[in-house]
Amino acid sequence: MRLRYVAVSLMFVAAGTSDGQAARRSAQSGKSPEVRIDYTKETLPNGLTVLYHVDHSTPVAAVLLWYNVGSKMEQPGKTGFAHLFEHMMFKGSKNVADGQHLALLEAAGARTGPDMSGTTSWDRTNYFEQVPSNQLELALWLESDRMGTLTEALTKEKLDNVREVVKNERRQTVDNQPYGSWLEKSEEALFPEPHPYHHSIIGSMSDLSAASLEDVRSFFKTYYAPNNAVLVVAGDIDVPQTKAMVRSYFGPIPRGPAPPRLAGTSLPATVGYENRVVVQDPLAPAPQIFVAYRVPPVKDPRAPVVRILANVIGGGNSSRLDEALVRRQQIATSVTGFNLGLADGGDMLVFFATGKAGSNPDSLERALLAELAGTSSFTQSELERARAADRFSFVDGLQTTGGFGGRADRLAEGWTFFRDPNHVNTVLRQIDRVTLDDLNALARERLVPTNRVILIYVPAKKTATQTSSTRVP
Amino acid sequence: MRGHRLIVNRLALVVWAAMLPVGAPSAQTVSPPPAGPLRPYIFPPVEEFQLANGLRVILVQKHTLPVVEGRLILDAGAMREPAAKNGLAALTGSLLSEGTGTLTGADIARAMDAFGARYFTTADFNAAYADVVALKTVFPQALALSARTVAAPSFPAGEVSRVKNQALAGYQQSHARTAGLASDAFVRAAFESTAPFSRPASGTPSTIGALTRDDVINWHRTMFAPSAATLLLVGDLSPAEARSIAQQAYGSWTATRTGQTPVENPIRASSGTRVILIDRPGSVQSSIIIGQPGFRATDPDYLNMVALNRVLGGGFNSRVNMNLREKHGYTYGAGSTLDLRPGGGAFRISSDVRTNATDSALVEAVGEYKRITSEPVPVPELQGAVNNLISAFPNAVQTVQGLAGRLQQLIVWGLPVNFYATYRERLAAVTPEDVRAAAASRLKPDNLIVVVAGDLSKIEAPIRARNLGAVEVWDPNGNKVR
Repeated sequence: MRLRYVAVSLMFVAAGTSDGQAARRSAQSGKSPEVRIDYTKETLPNGLTVLYHVDHSTPVAAVLLWYNVGSKMEQPGKTGFAHLFEHMMFKGSKNVADGQHLALLEAAGARTGPDMSGTTSWDRTNYFEQVPSNQLELALWLESDRMGTLTEALTKEKLDNVREVVKNERRQTVDNQPYGSWLEKSEEALFPEPHPYHHSIIGSMSDLSAASLEDVRSFFKTYYAPNNAVLVVAGDIDVPQTKAMVRSYFGPIPRGPAPPRLAGTSLPATVGYENRVVVQDPLAPAPQIFVAYRVPPVKDPRAPVVRILANVIGGGNSSRLDEALVRRQQIATSVTGFNLGLADGGDMLVFFATGKAGSNPDSLERALLAELAGTSSFTQSELERARAADRFSFVDGLQTTGGFGGRADRLAEGWTFFRDPNHVNTVLRQIDRVTLDDLNALARERLVPTNRVILIYVPAKKTATQTSSTRVP
Repeated sequence: MRGHRLIVNRLALVVWAAMLPVGAPSAQTVSPPPAGPLRPYIFPPVEEFQLANGLRVILVQKHTLPVVEGRLILDAGAMREPAAKNGLAALTGSLLSEGTGTLTGADIARAMDAFGARYFTTADFNAAYADVVALKTVFPQALALSARTVAAPSFPAGEVSRVKNQALAGYQQSHARTAGLASDAFVRAAFESTAPFSRPASGTPSTIGALTRDDVINWHRTMFAPSAATLLLVGDLSPAEARSIAQQAYGSWTATRTGQTPVENPIRASSGTRVILIDRPGSVQSSIIIGQPGFRATDPDYLNMVALNRVLGGGFNSRVNMNLREKHGYTYGAGSTLDLRPGGGAFRISSDVRTNATDSALVEAVGEYKRITSEPVPVPELQGAVNNLISAFPNAVQTVQGLAGRLQQLIVWGLPVNFYATYRERLAAVTPEDVRAAAASRLKPDNLIVVVAGDLSKIEAPIRARNLGAVEVWDPNGNKVR
């Protein structure tokens, strides 16, 4: 659930105790199990950080790169560019013809989607492939070729195709879906201009149309250098042999200039007013209400409290909103709550409820807001349920070596956001430490009317979406 | 000691390439490195035993993390329900977790959440399921509670009406999307109305509305029994633990039921391609489906069809995606699916394409469907496709959920549980001639079902002008309008 909104992806598609693998030591009910992801780290002379993680339980090797660039680095008029660029990374480089990157890896044994893709978020762009371990060298070669030589193979024709595909992606995920605009509208309201989270990852159709080859070259020069990336090689690998391969393929790529520092991400704790937006949505079959709050970001020590707060209120099947709106009042057919996981300045915590077809959106809104108003006196058992869910989600995600959200992804996240690959090994302890006071304090501080946007989606007869918005101080 | 010399050579090549002046055209490019020696992969052993009450238990051990999944699969899917009670299996499946003994649905949800377990009960076309995934320490208790909801649900009246409303809402949400409209229309057009697969498994508003609590109780009483179920246990369990946990959870379940006959999904006879259009005003994209009914996993040419599907639309580097997305930019993605069902499923291409290219995308997709029946698949293309299926298989079963999903397919399709032991070898043996023969005998490119859901004010005339077949316009409920 939480992962659904994290990133915009290249492709839509229908995921022991040997040396260094996720070793298990003890596990007791009520406490987190001992799970550890071992790694070794090196930095190449060109600034590329490399992490190696060994797991021989399956003959699979994963290669994964996080470039420290996301939509938050985009300039006005260039929205959607980080993601558009991500698509260009699959259109060939000096030694790899258009289409061959994915064709070679598919033939080697990677499934586009779960094993292999690229995804762009607000805060980073990642590329990954999970292959049989005897094909590791192919994966390293392909990643190094595009890191080193992408711009040597650029053409207008490739850019035009990518632009069309991305516009189709926007139509499929936003414009042609009921309630499809909720995320854009929430970001706009919670992160006022010029905050870099104000605009959406996928960007506007007109900015996409305006993107030029020169933009692609300049973006590559600015952000796609080894010193702005972390490479993780994980799975059934021999570390000395893998280090030799990594050095031979990535070592010759020159260091780039230091990327510009991102400024202007800090934000006040709360928005300072309430935004209420009514959307007449011709595609919606039933009313849906979204309420989104500004909360501490992933880099804040309170990040685990944010996840647990989301879960207590709207995450599990026994969450407050489920029990009140779906079971007792039966005014909603479904509810949910999650946070996006934004890294800098602030994150978004969002709850939404779907009403019955033909029902009154005002009553649904009143019921949802009434529940959210009472959320600052949680019980210990509510906390424990949410803690158990968060703990399970974390361990469950570590089952895969590579791919989206697997062990390699977690290691890269630790390096990119915290400059600490060992961050993955501290998550369970952080979850264990959350107290009821932490939870209640965060709710009291952030779940206030002057820190939220309310989006009311009303089924409309007209064929064009209409929006009206009001602001209450 | 693989390839030390190779690495040194390649280093030289890369350095040489890097020393070229930037932007200078190079006469020669570097070739991809060759694969090293393949490391062996063996599908984990599938252990099987039976409880005294007849419940079949399948264990696959996986000890990398302290995670266990227990999935009960019961032969009580929508394919077994009478047409007039369409939606009953799904409603019953959802209602299992809404009360047992003195526990209410809310109590069960709280208890499972307290375990940190992911728990859901449901039913689809094939079967009913009760699925629980949890950390090993709490798994025995979570499975035991799950078993109580399966064996002795209380179906409180209030929950029946609430869950019915959720089912109605689900139908409305699905039909608010072009993909949901197109997919329901496709099966309705492809199969006879007597075929269970012609109906949506979750029912339609009129059939859901008519379902009663007595229907649910009766369905549970006649269908739910250990002899009709398989319990999959996958993850960090020893065989002794698996036996004891299964016995504790399900040992006292005593229901019986009468035997069931195989399900048939008769295909609707038609001559010539039918083009079915459904209006969804304001759509900036259209959902298209092109395909035909009639495929089972037990067909002798099943693996040939798997290879054919991979070539046509089973990956990024497949014909329909390379054509519709990479060549023409009509879509974000296009693919094909071999949707196997007991009694016969369907094979289809599907995509969401931009409104003003809908007719062109249809022509290209139908063209690819025809081409694979008329031209042999070149050997390198087939090798790449088959190698993808074979080599990516270990990736897909790294998780307990991945393993359980694969085993579930075998159970609902009626294949032996040791099927994957030789799956990769048998796929590797598929030849271009096998694929050609499967395409020639199974695919009917002049007798297709083509479904399009989108803004007819913009797409109907261009589609008619393409003369793909006899055009019909349907309402969202599957009634012919003109």
